[in-house]
Amino acid sequence: MRRGLGSVCLALCLSTPFYGQPSFGIRSNEAPNEDRYVYKALPDIVIQTVATADARLSTVWRDKPVLLTMIFTRCAGVCSPFLRSLKRAAADAEGLGRDYRIVVLSFDPQDSAADMDRMAQSLGLKSDPAWIFGVASPGDIRRLAAAVGFWFYWDPSVGQYDHPSLLIAVDRGRVLRMLAGAEVPSASLREVAQELRGKFVSSYALAGKVAFRCFEYDPDRGRYNLDWGVLLMLLPATCALLSVAWAFSPISRRAGPP
Amino acid sequence: MASVANGLYGESEIRKFRRMTVIWGATVLLLLPILALLGYFMRWVQAGAFTQLRPEWFYAVLTLHSLGMVGTWFVGSMAGVSYLLLRYTRPSLAVSRLSYWGTLVGVLLLIVCTLGGLFGTGWYFLYPLPLMSQHVWQPWATFTFFLALAILGVCWTIWTLDILRAIARHYSLSAALGWNYILGREGPEVPPLVLITTVSLIVGVAGFVAAVLVIALFAARALGVNVDPLLMKNLTFFFGHVLVNITMYLGVATVYELLPSYAGRPWKINRVVALAWGAVLFLILFAYFHHLYMDFAQPAWIQKFGQICSYGLAVPAGVVSIFGTLALVYAARMRWTLASTLLFLGIMGWGVGGIAAVIDSTVEVNFHFHNTLWVPAHFHTYYLMGVVLIILGLIDHVGKEISGLEERAARSKLTVALLLIGGYGFLSMFYWAGAHSVPRRYAIYPLEVSQGTLYARIAVGFITVLLLGILLYLWETGKRCLKALAA
Repeated sequence: MRRGLGSVCLALCLSTPFYGQPSFGIRSNEAPNEDRYVYKALPDIVIQTVATADARLSTVWRDKPVLLTMIFTRCAGVCSPFLRSLKRAAADAEGLGRDYRIVVLSFDPQDSAADMDRMAQSLGLKSDPAWIFGVASPGDIRRLAAAVGFWFYWDPSVGQYDHPSLLIAVDRGRVLRMLAGAEVPSASLREVAQELRGKFVSSYALAGKVAFRCFEYDPDRGRYNLDWGVLLMLLPATCALLSVAWAFSPISRRAGPP
Repeated sequence: MASVANGLYGESEIRKFRRMTVIWGATVLLLLPILALLGYFMRWVQAGAFTQLRPEWFYAVLTLHSLGMVGTWFVGSMAGVSYLLLRYTRPSLAVSRLSYWGTLVGVLLLIVCTLGGLFGTGWYFLYPLPLMSQHVWQPWATFTFFLALAILGVCWTIWTLDILRAIARHYSLSAALGWNYILGREGPEVPPLVLITTVSLIVGVAGFVAAVLVIALFAARALGVNVDPLLMKNLTFFFGHVLVNITMYLGVATVYELLPSYAGRPWKINRVVALAWGAVLFLILFAYFHHLYMDFAQPAWIQKFGQICSYGLAVPAGVVSIFGTLALVYAARMRWTLASTLLFLGIMGWGVGGIAAVIDSTVEVNFHFHNTLWVPAHFHTYYLMGVVLIILGLIDHVGKEISGLEERAARSKLTVALLLIGGYGFLSMFYWAGAHSVPRRYAIYPLEVSQGTLYARIAVGFITVLLLGILLYLWETGKRCLKALAA
């Protein structure tokens, strides 16, 4: 009887990862607010890959800036398309391997380093040293997720995690930028790569969206054109001239006491 | 000592105008220790003294301290210039009274929105921050703030126009701007006070119109119209730069008027002085671009022009006035009183702050000093050790002139020593911290710039000395002002 009860308990414990997946964070339809996390330090967690048993994340970002993302290998939804999109965008942006590396971590405790390696292989990235596919302990994953506003929620009805797609640019252990969304636009990644190289990234408002602009930027010609707002800049000096003309006019000077 | 008696006013009118001037002076002297204590409080916070305090309080106090100080010294210099202009022309007493009451209401509203509503945008209320408080302050605080600005702006514009009108009664525009000196033609003798005041107030009108535009565009944004942030920043800094600069120029004008009476020599306009202040009229309109060096959307040629104008602005006003002051004092039988000493030291402090400003207005340097404590270092120098000393000297001069009470030389020397040691000591911590990349406007310094806490602690010591100097000044000069008020 006792042996039978023990067997049931053991079976329940072993089955927990399959039927009682850990969730973390608060589900939200909104992307994590970048402003809350930028310049925050990330926890220096331990990761495992097929090549390395235990390595600190800091050994990766100490060498070069890092783009970090979290997925799970059994994902039937966004994870694979997201990684393919990231691969395409990184090829467009240039500098991968030279200026930065990409670390893909699984947040699913079921995933092993071998699972992640197979995922890398399926994406054609297994032999690319600029891509690091790994796993970490559940505690470390939760610390990392908390540091960047990432969440994952196990939905038993579909046997899948609900989670956002998030790409975090990390420089010397601190969050530099965050991109949210199922697809990584090449233009956005180019900007992030620029920032990771320490270059300044300028941005310009879209033409016609703002009233009284001083200048409109023409992105095709890379030039500024004067706009109506400049007239408002001339208004103070014009009013000052009119006031002086009024004060010193013969009519005004004659009126009133000497 | 030249006094106010120009034949334009009757004796009773002169007495009323003197009384109004003393009321302005007493109000400035009342506001000075209060606003200085707010600054003292901020440095204590940065020194780590009030760890339980919400940082929002720091920013609300910062807003009140900065706007309060800028406004106080502007009205102080305007009141002083109005009084001294009585020698040559006839400003309106009614307008001075209107400005006084308008200023009181404006200041009251500022206190309500900052200390009562935690409105904490800093003096520049940079768009769109006042409208995006993240629930730190409520919309009523934003409304009250802009109402205060509108009241102050309207009253000060009327005051400015009235003084220009008064000058125009007795001088043509070309005479008031000293063009006859520039062209080498015969013309009326124009005192430097009239020239500098005319130049300053013409520019002042432009600055106030810019403020009106800023308030109108904020209102447009509140109604849902998207407004260009670059335009708003240009207008805001044009207004702010002009207001601060003309405050200093009006202070300098009083030195041109008063210091000769202590040196026993005249200080008259010549071609160089007229040219210098004529150049100011043009250059000041564009020098403010140095506040926008970090705004990449501003075309590069504007930034370069801004640097040229900033450099240029330092030469005519700063160099000519400082050289003129030194030439006036050199080998003169100078009567060194508290007033004359403060007037002289104020001009020199203006020069010191001006050099720090020119350094920061260099694009390459600004890349490193922008938004560090170097910025408050330089503007506190030309304010605290420049125009503040000048206006304190002016108030002491007027108080003595009206009350007839003489000063005690030992106490005057001690006052000056405390003001100098405390003032420059406090400023040196700002400069040192700025040169070591400690950022400005931080209530609490993060680990990366934790050295800022130490500098703040040292600064607190010097501010204590400075406050002792201010208290001693208030005790001595306050007595004279109270007697003048009763006279």
